[in-house]
Amino acid sequence: MWAFLGSDVMFFGAFIATYLVYRGKSLVGPYPSEVLNIPITTVSTFVLLMSSLAMVLALHYVKEGEKNKGTLWILAVVVLGAIFMGFQFVEFREFAHLGLTPRTNIFGTTFFILTGIHGAHVTIGVIWMAFLAYSSNNGALRSDNALDLEIAGLYWHFVDIVWIVIFTVIYLISANDAPPPGMETITH
Amino acid sequence: MASLWRKLTHHDGNGWWNLPHTPSNEPNPPHEGPIGGAWLGNMWRILTHGGVSHAGPGFYWLVGLFLSIVTLVEVWLFAVEGLGSWYIPLLLFLSLLKFIGVVAFFMHLRFDHRLFTYLFGASMVVGIFIFTLLLLLLEFGNQPPN
Repeated sequence: MWAFLGSDVMFFGAFIATYLVYRGKSLVGPYPSEVLNIPITTVSTFVLLMSSLAMVLALHYVKEGEKNKGTLWILAVVVLGAIFMGFQFVEFREFAHLGLTPRTNIFGTTFFILTGIHGAHVTIGVIWMAFLAYSSNNGALRSDNALDLEIAGLYWHFVDIVWIVIFTVIYLISANDAPPPGMETITH
Repeated sequence: MASLWRKLTHHDGNGWWNLPHTPSNEPNPPHEGPIGGAWLGNMWRILTHGGVSHAGPGFYWLVGLFLSIVTLVEVWLFAVEGLGSWYIPLLLFLSLLKFIGVVAFFMHLRFDHRLFTYLFGASMVVGIFIFTLLLLLLEFGNQPPN
């Protein structure tokens, strides 16, 4: 899993670098300052951070052999992950409503590819966790094979740290990126 | 420099700045916490149910609280005007703090086999190298030859 995560670091690193390379290069709007919603994204970031906390608590209780608490915290990961996906779905729909799609401008392309790939990772993680919650509930996931959950946990925490970087780079740093001087906003 | 690094990564039981480094399947040494020290070690023992494991729910809740507070500080910085050129470095620093918090404690890298740290660290170096190359390409790639 660590080897996979290492390769994923380079994978996401390339997409984040691409976003930064093309930052501020859009010739038409909407621009980041016109669409990014920091308060809403802060809440979704908090939700994802708390899902990491739930993950580590789930692993602790499964290792301790406390089946019910372990199952409950794995389910919490599933629910929090699903809530995060919901936030992302609403955000994407709102952006489309404002005229920003992957084909609108270079900001749209790089933004949707990066956050979309991250969202795909979250989706895979939620499905994985749902299976583990089922396994824990029926007794197949126990303290002696908690490594299965630990490996899934590493994946989940990795998804979390990628979002930590995305939240800073795309949202907090780019949120003030206004249209270039003399460039009028053109929405499709 | 090498001595300082060794102190930070190899706990010998002396000095509050020394971080413990014991395998995750071994109990914590007495009075040893995640950031060393006697009183911090006592707090650690309470949080980990007597120091028999590397971390317990109490410690994880503390890390979660820390991550939440750092996120709030980031958003507060976003709202503050007049930070100028300090804004991006401050955000990157806070982001790094969260990154380290999750990797070291939630992902247990702090207490895992050192090979995993090297593996992940090497990937980070390659990732940052690719990142830097792309930025340099943007900066100098379109210049006409002299």
